[in-house]
This record gives sequence, C-alpha cells and structure tokens, in this order.
Amino acid sequence: MVKAESVYKSYGRLEVLRGIDLEVSPREVMCIIGPSGSGKSTFLRCINHLEKIDAGRLSVDGELVGYRQRGDRLYELPEAEVCRKRSEIGMVFQRFNLFPHMTALENVIEAPIRVKGESREVASERGRRLLDRVGLAEKVDVYPNQLSGGQQQRVAIARALAMEPKLILFDEPTSALDPELVGEVLDVMRKLAEEGMTMIVVTHEMGFAREVGDSLVLMDAGVIVEEGKPREVISNPQHERTRAFLSKVL
Amino acid sequence: MADVADRPAAIKAVPVRHPGRWISAVIVLLIGSYVVGTVVTAVARDPTKEGGGWATVAHYFTAPLILRGVLLTLVLTVCAMAVGIVLGIVLAVMRLSPNWVVAWVSWIYIWFFRGTPVLVQIFFWYNLNILLPHIGIGIPFTSLWLQADTNTLIPSFVVVLLGLGLNEAAYMSEIVRAGIISVEHGQTEAAMALGMDRMLLMRRIVLPQAMRVIIPPTGNETISMLKTTSLAYVAAFPELFTRSDQIATSTYAVLELLIVASIWYLIMTSVLTVGQYYIERRFARGSQRQLPLTPLQRFRRMLVTFHAPPPLPIEPPVVIGSEHR
Repeated sequence: MVKAESVYKSYGRLEVLRGIDLEVSPREVMCIIGPSGSGKSTFLRCINHLEKIDAGRLSVDGELVGYRQRGDRLYELPEAEVCRKRSEIGMVFQRFNLFPHMTALENVIEAPIRVKGESREVASERGRRLLDRVGLAEKVDVYPNQLSGGQQQRVAIARALAMEPKLILFDEPTSALDPELVGEVLDVMRKLAEEGMTMIVVTHEMGFAREVGDSLVLMDAGVIVEEGKPREVISNPQHERTRAFLSKVL
Repeated sequence: MADVADRPAAIKAVPVRHPGRWISAVIVLLIGSYVVGTVVTAVARDPTKEGGGWATVAHYFTAPLILRGVLLTLVLTVCAMAVGIVLGIVLAVMRLSPNWVVAWVSWIYIWFFRGTPVLVQIFFWYNLNILLPHIGIGIPFTSLWLQADTNTLIPSFVVVLLGLGLNEAAYMSEIVRAGIISVEHGQTEAAMALGMDRMLLMRRIVLPQAMRVIIPPTGNETISMLKTTSLAYVAAFPELFTRSDQIATSTYAVLELLIVASIWYLIMTSVLTVGQYYIERRFARGSQRQLPLTPLQRFRRMLVTFHAPPPLPIEPPVVIGSEHR
C-alpha cells in the first residue's frame, strides 16, 4: 500500500529524513514511535504530499506521491491530481483541526459534498452513521468548541472516514488529550483496525502499539532504527537506541 | 459530597465607593454643557436668519433636496463598499497566490491605489474625457468598432463610484489578507488533507473564519466611506454634502447647512455602528461559548449598577448558532 525507498527531506540545512525505507501492506496497522524531532510526523506528511520529499521514491498503491513517471523523467502532478490523491488518504491530526465554524455533522460532510460531489442527503445520511459509529450520535449539531478533546478527535476520525479512504494517517492522535480521554479515541482506532483499515499511526501509546499494531517502527534522527513485530521489538529490542527509548516510555 | 446545608451563605459585602467617578462625571458635564451651550446660543442668535438659525436648520433638515442627498450618500456608500469588498477579497486571494504573476498584479494595484490620494483619483476619473474623449470596443484594424462619448458613458455617479470603490479595494484587500493570515495553518492542512483545492478551501474554510477578523475593520471602513463620499462634491454628484453646499451658497446659511449635514452624517454613522455590532455577534458563532451581551442588555445592566462591571449571568449555556441549518 505504501512503499518508501530511501526517502530524504530537509528544511534548509536541517535534514529531517535521512533515507527512510519501509513498506506497509494493505490492512496493516503500522505504529511509528520515536523521540520528538525524529521525523515521524514529517514522514507522515510526505505520504499525502503535504510535504515534498527531496530524494528517494515514495509511492501509495503503486503510484508515486506527487509525481508521474514517464521514461526516466519525473513530472510534477497538477494541483487537481494531487488533491484527488489526497482525498483517498485520510489524516487525523494531533490538534484535531476541526473546522470551528461548522457543526460536527457539517465537518464530516463538507469534503464528501464539495470534493466528491455527493448529494447533501447521501452525505448527511452516511455522516450521521459515522458519528454514531464513533459514539457521537447525540453531538451531530454541536460546534467543536463545545466538545471535549476526545470527542473532537472522534469527530475528526469520522471526518476522515467520510471520504472512504484506503489509508488513514494518524499524527499523534492522543498527544493533545487529557489522560482520561485517551481511551475513547484509542477504542475507535482499535475498532477501525479490526475492520481492516490500513493505518499508519505515529504515537506514544505503547499499549496500543503492542495490542493493535501489526508492525512497529522506531525512528530516530531521521532514520529507522528498528522495525519488527511490536511484541518482539518491545520485549526484546535489538538496538541500544531502542532500549534507551523504550526504557523512558514504558 | 458536602451537604447542601453546609454551604456558607453567599457573600454580601459593602461595595467600594468610587468618588472619582462622580467627580469626573460632574466636571465632564460642566465643560460639555458650556461648549454645547455656546454653539447652540450662537446659532440661535444668528441675526441674518428670520427666527434664528435653528429654525433654518429645522427647515432644511427635512428639505426634499437634502433627503435625496442623504439617499444618494447611502447608495454611494453601499455601492462603493460593495466594489471595495468584492475586489478587495479578489486582490487579497491574488496576493497570496502561488502564481507570482497574479501576486504581483495585486501588489502593484495596491501600491498605486493606496499611494495616491483618493481625491486625486476621483479627479482623474472625472477628467478622463480629456485623455480619452471616446471609449470604444471592437476588433483592432477593422471597421467593427463600437464607440461612445466618454462623458455620456461615465456619468458622475460612476466617476465617484470608480474613484471611491477602486481606492477602497486596495485597503480592503489588506484587511482581508490580515484576516486570511490570522486563520490557523492547521485549518488549511486539514482541508488539504481532505482533498480540497486552494480555491475551495479558501472559500469554505479560511474566509468564513477570517470574517471574524475582517469585519471590525470593515465596519470602520464603511463608516469612513460614508463620510468620504462627501468628496463626490468635486464631481458635482448631488449627494448630501454637495446638496447642502449648493443650498448654503444660494441662501448664505452656511453654518446652518453644515449643521444639517453633520446631524445627518451622525445619524447614519450611528446606525452603521449598531449594525456592525450585530454582524460581529453573528460571526462570533462557534468561537465563543457565550455570546456577548447586546448593547441594550448592557445598558439595562448598567442602570442597575453604576459601581462595578456587571457579572456574567448564570444561565444554562446558550447553544450558539442552533438556528443555523
């Protein structure tokens, strides 16, 4: 589903990604952990072309992200094409980023109506069902600032699901939440994983990574330090760096 | 849980006295009434007017020519602001465009129209017929050509509208741009991640949120515009100020007609101020849990207590914007 081959990215002089290689198969849940500044979020943002990579190859579903290849030449994709590809990839942000001027339902149905061209009736019908699925059937007409952080993040997940994505990227979805609200968001994510959604999750929730994740990746300073089955990586880390990191977060 | 009976009684304390407020109120009242009184009696004693100056003011205050002038002032304000706001939004979006040609066109427009006095611009449009006596469209180097006299094509209303509207657009675009920049970047990212293109996310996500920042200065601009329309005087467009000046010249009631015009301008700006307040309230939707009080509610509260700023009412939380769709 996602394939990265020696992906590099820098901001000016600062090299954020220094050769990332990894592969995510369909229905896989990959968790990425690592200290802040290690490039996890940047890598996630590269996958839906919110950031451009400098070198290497990154593809989703066999198609290059942001480019088209003809012969051995790369052509930048036009905006419409980039948007179409982004619409197939969901993204959930650390700070929720709900649209504050729209109710929960309006947040969910906005993109299906405006981007996919669905009718308001069809979109609303599915939007209500999605909000029900994340346990917010009662909050359909409520504005984001009247919701708790956990509720906002669940609306954000419903918003991503409304586009029927083939892949969802989670950028530290529980890091901005009060501890007692983390569980409700993780529960929704766990259900999604069970239903077979392909997910890449940048997280600090080791419990979630161990129980829900199919694979675990530890990034540090722009490279992948260790990769494997979550249980094995957590219980028997092969690298000193992994051991040091795990000892701090476990 | 503490028993309800255990709860101590609400605090009842003697409020702090504020003698300074009373003293300053008296001083302001004295100075104010002296200034107003002097003007009022001076106008009343105007020896050249039968029945004193105030009778003249009252007479012309509702004169048909003045009322029509008031109407034209309002029409001109609305039209010039409409041109300014629409063009201003376009310019602001252009200015932030990744297409540098478009961005530069916007920059140069703003540079020119903000850098020259609006009076000069109105004169320019007014005298356009000297430069271009005829305006026409057609296919170059053929006889297919439509042509009209510049003065008939551009009546004085359009002259003033162009002068005021195009100038206003330059200012409005900076206001809109500030509003757009004020919207958190995460909003743009979320919209982009959903597959929205630049125009769509601008229209549906960023601009509606920018409104909260854009509206207060726009209200300011509208009030300013209402008064700037008096520059239409130089293009002989018969709005309020042109009319009152014409009457003043023919009747020698100069001061009286200035008072008439001033009272009308004050009435119109006051109405606009109230309108602005309610529009701001509407766009606060989704950003505040509790809407601020209306001026009427605040006034009532002020009558109740002259001492302290009133505490917020304890009411069930208002569901903001529940009437919306």
